Amino acid sequence: MANINIKKREIECKIVYYGPGRSGKTTNLEYIFKSYKNYVSGEMISIKTEGDRTLFFDFLPIGLGTIKGYDVRVQLYTVPGQVQYTSTRRLVLKEVDGIVFVADSLKVRREKNMQSLKDLQNNLKGYDLSIFKVPLVLQYNKRDLSKQGIPLMHSELMEKELNSQLKVPSFQASAITGQGVGVTLKECLMLTLKSIRKQLKTVK
Amino acid sequence: MEIKKQIQSMIAEAKIYCTQGLLEEAIVYYQNAKNLVEKNEKVKNRETILKTIEDRIISLENEIQKVKDLKESAPVSSEVQDLIKTKFAFSKDENESALEGAIALAKFGQYERALQEFDELLQVDSLRLAAAKNIIRCHIAMSTIEKAVDIYQEWMAGDLFPQDQLYKINIFFKSIIDSKGLDIMLPQVEEPVDFEMNELGESENEDDEFMDISSIGISLDTGSEKKRMIDLDVSFQQGNEINLIISSKNKDLIDNLKVGFRLNDVQFYSPFAIFTGSGIVSAKTQIGFGPKQGDYSLDITVINK
Ligand SMILES: Nc1nc2c(ncn2[C@@H]2O[C@H](COP(=O)(O)OP(=O)(O)OP(=O)(O)O)[C@@H](O)[C@H]2O)c(=O)[nH]1
Ligand SMILES: [Mg+2]
Repeated sequence: MANINIKKREIECKIVYYGPGRSGKTTNLEYIFKSYKNYVSGEMISIKTEGDRTLFFDFLPIGLGTIKGYDVRVQLYTVPGQVQYTSTRRLVLKEVDGIVFVADSLKVRREKNMQSLKDLQNNLKGYDLSIFKVPLVLQYNKRDLSKQGIPLMHSELMEKELNSQLKVPSFQASAITGQGVGVTLKECLMLTLKSIRKQLKTVK
Repeated sequence: MEIKKQIQSMIAEAKIYCTQGLLEEAIVYYQNAKNLVEKNEKVKNRETILKTIEDRIISLENEIQKVKDLKESAPVSSEVQDLIKTKFAFSKDENESALEGAIALAKFGQYERALQEFDELLQVDSLRLAAAKNIIRCHIAMSTIEKAVDIYQEWMAGDLFPQDQLYKINIFFKSIIDSKGLDIMLPQVEEPVDFEMNELGESENEDDEFMDISSIGISLDTGSEKKRMIDLDVSFQQGNEINLIISSKNKDLIDNLKVGFRLNDVQFYSPFAIFTGSGIVSAKTQIGFGPKQGDYSLDITVINK
């Protein structure tokens, strides 16, 4: 749960980029780090292994300035997508406030997207959170690859397979060019802050 | 499509999967291209093309193996360790949060640093016992149990711990040694007068809220076979979360214990009592490096103790 300091009027929350290995989670954060310098409030820290795969997590702190009287700070994390790192993914998810699920649009990664979403649901359950209630947005990444003649899934198909039950906002993106990265994050932040505001009300 | 074009397009696709780091997918497409070349004797420069593709497949397979063979986790800087320590501690209480941070370090495999932290926490009255137990746990995870024994002897000889805490540590450590079937004799600690048994198991306990579990017994319904009882050692515990290491040889068991699976009628062995309860498999990870490489690490959330 977000760290809300009512006296100091500060909110600190945590957003986690989740998704199968190689779907572009780290690339999303790298683009944010490069392109939204005004918001970035510290270094991006990446802990990776062979072939640039995330080993523990990436971490990027950003600040949104004052919103409704509160100084809002956000910590962005990515999880390691490779299947074998389940317990690390669980650790990183602890106390999460909002989630961006980065799906890979490549046809060959179709099953991996579904498995990873299921894995997210399980891991959330471990913290007594429901995937249907947590602030969540989907991103269908790597849309640029269609230009190179690589078979991608239609976004309608992805929508049907990943989002027909969740019914959360979804965005097409190309993290490598930055297209769709900003809107994805912005929507996730909006949902997250909305849910925090609700918590604030119930606290009072 | 012309055969030649088909082959070219498969190879082009494979190449892109390579740049995406999708090595297994790349191999599939190289393999498809190879099959196609093999089937068509009329393809020009057939042998050369086949050789090129085969070399590519071999080098990709090597690369995949290299990732699998990684012996150590990336050396993590002290800056990153600090980050783990602060960001993965959530308690509002300063002491509690320091303990959480140290446990997080251990969970990320940073045992040496975790040990340093636990060492410092020995100075905090309210955390001393928990820190001591975690020091023992770290050494067990690092397979340096003999060091734990040395440290334990120092604790016995020194005056850091009151008698009742030494007694608790003794019981805790002994139960681990027993559950691992090790031949180590720990110096005896006299049972303190007016020591209450239930003190160890109750949640008012100043240490962690949950009873220490040293091993568990589960019975699996394996279908054809009758139910079979299996004992497993607990390697780490935080509250009601226990972690077990299962040898890769135990394939049956590993396949059965999927994430989300609920184990009923589990026997939990704690130093003082055996209790029956349930557990849910909350994570399953194949260990990628270190002495236990290839084995599985399993997290189980204990419910209704
Ligand atoms: N063409 C293209 N490539 C992308 C895009 N996003 C990521 N990639 C590439 O995909 C590969 C994997 O990207 P990462 O950002 O490391 O993926 P990840 O999700 O962090 O992967 P893990 O850390 O293993 O879970 C890299 O080679 C990226 O350059 C995209 O939008 N378009
Ligand atoms: Mg990554």
